[in-house]
Amino acid sequence: MNVGIVTVAEGRVYNLSLSLKELREVEVKVLRFLAERGEKSRLSDILAETGLEHAAVVKSLAWLEDKGLVSIESIKLEYLSLTDEGKRYASSGFPERILLSFLVEKGGEATLKDVFEAGILPESIVNIAIGWARRKGWIDVLKTDGKTTLRVLSPSPTRGSDEVLLVFLWEKDRVKRSELPEELAPAIDLLYKRNLLEKQSETEILAQITSSGIKVLESGVEVDEGVSLLTPDLIRTQAWRNVKLRRFNVEAPVKPVYPGKLHPVVQLINEIREIFLSIGFEEIRGPLVESAFWNFDALFTPQDHPAREMHDTFYLKKPSIVKLPDEGLVYRVAKTHENGWETGSKGWGYTWNAELAQQAILRTHTTATTIRHLAEHRTPPVKVFSVDRVYRNERVDYKHLAEFHQIEGIIVDKNVTLRDLMGVLREFYWKLGVKKVQFWPSFFPYTEPSIQSTVYVEKYKAWVELCGAGIFRPEVTVPLGVKIPVLAWGGGFERIAMLRLGLDDIRDLYRNSLGWLRQIPVIL
Amino acid sequence: MPTLVLKVKRMSELLGREVTVEELERIVPWLGVDIEDVGSDYIKIEYNPNRPDFSSQEGIARALKGFMEIETGLPKYTVNPGPVVLKVDPSVRPVRPWIVCGVVRGLKLDEERIMEIIEMEEALDWAIGRDRAVSSIGLHNLDAVKPPFKYHAVWPDEIRFVPLDMDVEMTPKEILRVHPKGVAYRRILEGAERYPIITDCDGNVLSFPPIINGALTRVTEDTRNIFIELTGTRLEAIFAALNILVTAFAEMGGRLESVAVEYTDQVLVTPNLSPSRWMLNVKSANKLLGLKLKPEQVAKCLEKMRLGVESVGEELLVLVPAYRHDIMHNVDLIEEVAIGYGYFNLEPTFPSTVTIAAENSTQKLSNKLRMIMIGFGFTEVINFTLANYKEHFEYMMVKGDPVRILNPVSAEYDILRSSLLPCLLKVFGNNKHEPLPQMIFEVGDVIVLDDEAETGARRILHLAGAIMHSEANFTEIKSVAEGVLREIDVQDYVFKATDHPSFIPGRCAEVKVRGNHIGVVGEIHPKVLNNFELEYPVGAFEYDLQFILERE
Repeated sequence: MNVGIVTVAEGRVYNLSLSLKELREVEVKVLRFLAERGEKSRLSDILAETGLEHAAVVKSLAWLEDKGLVSIESIKLEYLSLTDEGKRYASSGFPERILLSFLVEKGGEATLKDVFEAGILPESIVNIAIGWARRKGWIDVLKTDGKTTLRVLSPSPTRGSDEVLLVFLWEKDRVKRSELPEELAPAIDLLYKRNLLEKQSETEILAQITSSGIKVLESGVEVDEGVSLLTPDLIRTQAWRNVKLRRFNVEAPVKPVYPGKLHPVVQLINEIREIFLSIGFEEIRGPLVESAFWNFDALFTPQDHPAREMHDTFYLKKPSIVKLPDEGLVYRVAKTHENGWETGSKGWGYTWNAELAQQAILRTHTTATTIRHLAEHRTPPVKVFSVDRVYRNERVDYKHLAEFHQIEGIIVDKNVTLRDLMGVLREFYWKLGVKKVQFWPSFFPYTEPSIQSTVYVEKYKAWVELCGAGIFRPEVTVPLGVKIPVLAWGGGFERIAMLRLGLDDIRDLYRNSLGWLRQIPVIL
Repeated sequence: MPTLVLKVKRMSELLGREVTVEELERIVPWLGVDIEDVGSDYIKIEYNPNRPDFSSQEGIARALKGFMEIETGLPKYTVNPGPVVLKVDPSVRPVRPWIVCGVVRGLKLDEERIMEIIEMEEALDWAIGRDRAVSSIGLHNLDAVKPPFKYHAVWPDEIRFVPLDMDVEMTPKEILRVHPKGVAYRRILEGAERYPIITDCDGNVLSFPPIINGALTRVTEDTRNIFIELTGTRLEAIFAALNILVTAFAEMGGRLESVAVEYTDQVLVTPNLSPSRWMLNVKSANKLLGLKLKPEQVAKCLEKMRLGVESVGEELLVLVPAYRHDIMHNVDLIEEVAIGYGYFNLEPTFPSTVTIAAENSTQKLSNKLRMIMIGFGFTEVINFTLANYKEHFEYMMVKGDPVRILNPVSAEYDILRSSLLPCLLKVFGNNKHEPLPQMIFEVGDVIVLDDEAETGARRILHLAGAIMHSEANFTEIKSVAEGVLREIDVQDYVFKATDHPSFIPGRCAEVKVRGNHIGVVGEIHPKVLNNFELEYPVGAFEYDLQFILERE
């Protein structure tokens, strides 16, 4: 038997020819229950009375509503309960009450010092108690000769609505807002502001049968024989031919599931690694615990340079000292600092100290690793890169981390030029999706000439500094035995990551908030 | 870092023609100077540590005149021989051995100029002087004292004078104890028996370097003639600061006069502003920059940068003005050519260097491990290698000897991690409000002490995974831990029952490959869960996978 029903779903009107046979047992039970009730019924009541499972009833209601057989209403309910602090006050009394009884006991007056010394309230609470007692007009606060005196104005005030509500909630545990006596309503905000009361909201579902639903029932319902689950048995025996496979509401929302995922930082690091690899670079990796020698001295950074100070660099307690490389190299670096050695430089003109070079530190840049590699690979051509961790002894805030990643690459070849360096940088940015690049003169202690590159960021409508670059100074390369140009560039990885991920706080990259990690789409 | 404000009015005066904010904003960066802020009648620039001569408006204007071709080539300064003499007593040798001096006459000062001079002095003391340790400047009203002057060392309580910013006489010792500048800079004199002092012929104190000047010689708007002294530990550095300072005074309209500084073994007549001479090979400049400039063009670029060029040919004789402290090597001149040519004129090219790419083996393995863990449905997290001893050892109920930091800026980081598991438990702790189950992993470095290693420590590749939900258990995590080994083709492993303080007794196995310990798997001990404030059971494993890299 068919009943023609007009139903409205998602703003569209269409005719549905509904076979009663399509109603499953659960749906029939729910529909019958609602028909008996006639009036709006709570979901909790339906569950209690029919004994059906929560998920099944919710699903049936959605299906029945979709077919226009029931109407569903959801209302928000507010529940009130006490916070832990509220519960404490409920059992011991409000602090202002405790203060008042103390003052009354003391003959109606006491100094602030007395109150503290009596220890009737935790020290952190005393001022709160005084504030409220005064606001409620129970006491007065007088200041004379640098002494603060508290005087009782009203020795036994009646319980205020806040106190009544507190006790009421304490006894009832959890109360529906609508069931609260009207006279207590004004006290809700009072307790809420003092963080004594919590508000929780829940949604209640109310269902009522529609006239179509009644019609369907009246026309006689037969329970659907159809099956939801296509079992292996049905398939093997071909019994599926004799049953009806139920139609599902494929438009209904489903529970979200999230795949296992790479961390966005790793995805971006890999993207940058792939750029280098696509243009023929070899990836290098070096120690995180490093000597000041490789991190600074080998890069011609004078031993009194501010970057070497304690507040910029992490020095280590253990290990505290690192072996220096072979004596020949140490000698050449030392002399280059002192007088330029055979590099053609004037040098810094101070006496180089081997002890300072032996200090163990956490590398402050990946250039320490690059320069190690260069010392061992002097035959051109060399093209190497790394995207790896570095450290700065900085206080962490929205702009700074103490540990972060640096991107770095070098090209060593006989005839490479400053213009080549610009070309490589431009290509690198191009592959990152940045098209507008400008180059400026700049300064880095171990490169000359040096370049600062800025890129245009649409989001900020501004030019942002990304990578620094330059040609290694002969004072750096000649002591290693390298006499041809070394093009070098590098920069912070995190700034690029923030731009790509739309973050304003650098710390968000490493918070490992699972909500963020689950929801952020894969970087395409 | 210090900053410097360039005022449009003053810059126009110095350049000899009107400039606008927009013009300065456009041109100044081409000299390698970063702009921090732009106002309606000024731009604020960041101090460039390579160019201490850019520490005054005069210094910037001098460079801009060249770059804008208002006045190019070597700036000329005259130093007249002067009558002032300063004698250096050998007693200063152990504490602050070097001093150089100069005299500027005929200055017209106002409040603004004095402020600018003080800022320049501070910038030079900071940048060249390494916060006064290496060099520090003292400026004095010459007319308040009587030469010859004397630079000598005194006992901490030997003399008394009124220092700047005080109105009572104090001894050097008292100054170091209570004067704000004494407190700020006394570390420089730490360990010295006697302190450096500059006095005039009547014994009046000009200065107690590098701490504070005497109030007697304070420079005011009425000061016309200034006596400059620079003391320090490196002669090179104090010469550089002196030259930058006196040339800026000359740009302000002062007349320079030399001072004879008499050491026991030599006499230095300072300032000496004769330029240094360098040879520049045109071909090598072109080669490094990727240009084909003719010698005349190279010379023009250098002159725009205020360098002098004496003979033009394949080899240029270049004169570098005395205030250019930063020119140490030929490449510095080549950079001058590039800046003079204009970076905006350098068309990028792509190098033809052909090489074959190679991925680092650790990175490659890390990425394979990530794929495996993702396949198991785990989400990747990344934590810092900087870590906290308490969380990594006390919370985990284990003992260990990690890499330790000497000077952590925050108590949160005092070690480098030697294990990943505490990091994962901390991540769970920070995600208590997120739906369960939570399945996370990390692939990354741990750092362990190793006397054999060159730097005393090694970075080792670890993989750790953890599952948290109400029914997390041993078998569930063992399945994953075993699956990982299968996927990376490790066949000869055994899971052997063990007791580990971080895990529930009887629910922990150590994993061995050919007899070598590579990791653990188990259910985390409830005490450890409490330490990390977790409320659900956690199954976890951690492997040291360095052996896979060595296998290959």
